[in-house]
Amino acid sequence: MSKVGRIFFPANSRHGLWTIPLLVAICCCVGLAISTADFVSRQNVLNLFAQAAPLILVSIGQMIVILVKGLDLSVGSVVSLTTGILSLNAPFYVTVPAAMLNAAVVGLLNGVAVTRFRVHPIIATLSIMGITQGAAMFVRPSAGGTVASEIVALVSGELFGIYMPVIWTIAAILVGWKIVHGSRFGLHLFAIGGGETAATFGIAEQRNEVAAYVLSSCFAAAAGIFLAGRIASGDPNIGTQYAVDSITAVALGGTQLAGGIGSLHGTLIGCGLLALIANGMNLLNVSAFVQTIVKGAILLLVIALQPRKNIGL
Amino acid sequence: MTSRSSLLRAALRIPPSCVVFAVLLITLWVLRPNMMNPAILGTFARQVVPLGIVVLGQLLVISSRSIDLSAGGIILLVNYLISSGLLYSWPLLPIILLCLGVGLAVGLVNGLLVGKRRASAVIVTLAINIVLIGLVEYLANGKPPGDVPAEFRALYNLRFWTIPAPVMFWIALAGIMSAFLGASVFGRFVWSIGSNPTSAHFSGVPVERTVVAAHVIAGLMFAVAALVQTSSIAVGSVRFGPELVMNSIAATILGGVVFGRPAEVWGPFVGVLCFALLFVVMTTIGVQEPGKLIVQGLIILLAAIFYGLRSKSN
Repeated sequence: MSKVGRIFFPANSRHGLWTIPLLVAICCCVGLAISTADFVSRQNVLNLFAQAAPLILVSIGQMIVILVKGLDLSVGSVVSLTTGILSLNAPFYVTVPAAMLNAAVVGLLNGVAVTRFRVHPIIATLSIMGITQGAAMFVRPSAGGTVASEIVALVSGELFGIYMPVIWTIAAILVGWKIVHGSRFGLHLFAIGGGETAATFGIAEQRNEVAAYVLSSCFAAAAGIFLAGRIASGDPNIGTQYAVDSITAVALGGTQLAGGIGSLHGTLIGCGLLALIANGMNLLNVSAFVQTIVKGAILLLVIALQPRKNIGL
Repeated sequence: MTSRSSLLRAALRIPPSCVVFAVLLITLWVLRPNMMNPAILGTFARQVVPLGIVVLGQLLVISSRSIDLSAGGIILLVNYLISSGLLYSWPLLPIILLCLGVGLAVGLVNGLLVGKRRASAVIVTLAINIVLIGLVEYLANGKPPGDVPAEFRALYNLRFWTIPAPVMFWIALAGIMSAFLGASVFGRFVWSIGSNPTSAHFSGVPVERTVVAAHVIAGLMFAVAALVQTSSIAVGSVRFGPELVMNSIAATILGGVVFGRPAEVWGPFVGVLCFALLFVVMTTIGVQEPGKLIVQGLIILLAAIFYGLRSKSN
């Protein structure tokens, strides 16, 4: 199948194999537009954005970490903890900075454990995930509480006639693009992930890796703010699926878990594809259980199409 | 000087799980001396036997620089097969063989995709896990599963000289695994791939085939764990926390098996016992669920940091 890959995209691209997922996504869109009347309705498209926005935020952070050969399993618990902090009885100008600061600390711990103490990213972020999840359940043992009305307003409603989730999505894309494809830091991410010694001469490898983990946590916290605004309360389990879903979305978009190969547009396509699958199958009345199977099968298919050199992780 | 440094090195070679286990045992002894009897401790050990058997498979894939996250899906599927009532008319042996076959088949798919197709093990096994969970939920279709056959329950409750049968089975399985890895050529292959896959390849080690075999054996172990897990509950369940998989990785790491370290069975074995004891100690002290998660995370992190520092000093 690597021949097919070469036709769609030249070999040795730094952006990975994102054309096949794009084609799959386009086929999904066309198929859904033809088979269901509701798909192209304004309300459904807006729903699609609201569903995809938190996943896009988490996935951009996840991709930044994966680019430097890492993996962040703690994003889901950061999302949960963020909604917990926001639902505390305090004004938004206290809770939002507190949530972001907390996320930065979690990211810092992840980064320091991985770089300074050479703990494998899976183990490091797994244990930090346990600690953060414990904290989330301590702050808010079960779903409830109320989020400051300013945060709710930030997520629902419209600004200049544009639906707020759309604004969040565009903002996430712009920030993500600036970081990954528009800055020296982004270039360093690719160089570190590529693993060639020559590329990393003169690059502060450890510092950049720590920064990647901090960014990942902060993106997860932003997703947490979005979700807290949507449900107007806190929930210690709301983020559970985001660790797996974000890895799925990033992998679907052609980013290689070995690091150094990936792209923002690929990740966006991956998120879009996941949202499309969920949305489309809801419209077609496919049971939630079959949706899970299809999600896994698509992930397997796309992964099997990506040729790699290394065996294992 | 030499003797001191070699003594230090010997002390550092002890897996962190043994140290943690000793600390926990002393804590329990100080807090609740009356709980230190074989019958009570045996019952606690019995609870972690499924985790212990999953770890036997996990340590094999982790030492060959791979990982398997599909244990949850396999356990769910085997649990469904036994408790759904589909196989009620079947005798015990074919049911067990079918379940082991399921484990082998899933392990083979994992292995072929990871070893031959060279796809990322994290993603492949994650995807397989998603598919298996979806499949079970689709088959169950929201209905609660039925009863587990009584024979399973009877086997689970059996005791020899106050030691529960599942615990003895676990110890025997760990012994077989240890002997197998220590004495067979396959064990050497796993070791060499763990140390350096490239040099293993150039030394004539069949890297692809060994990785496939490791995943197949892991799949088999997960199926065995699933059988024990199913026997431990009277009624089937469609919910299994992903914490079993996460704990299996944690216990393996705690036992001193890290990506690229020789497969060692008894370190992770004690690591699993640590989890059993940790649960008991924290329940006695009265730590709630959030506190348990935090302590567990801290212990894994500290063990891994300890190992990271050690590998740096070497």
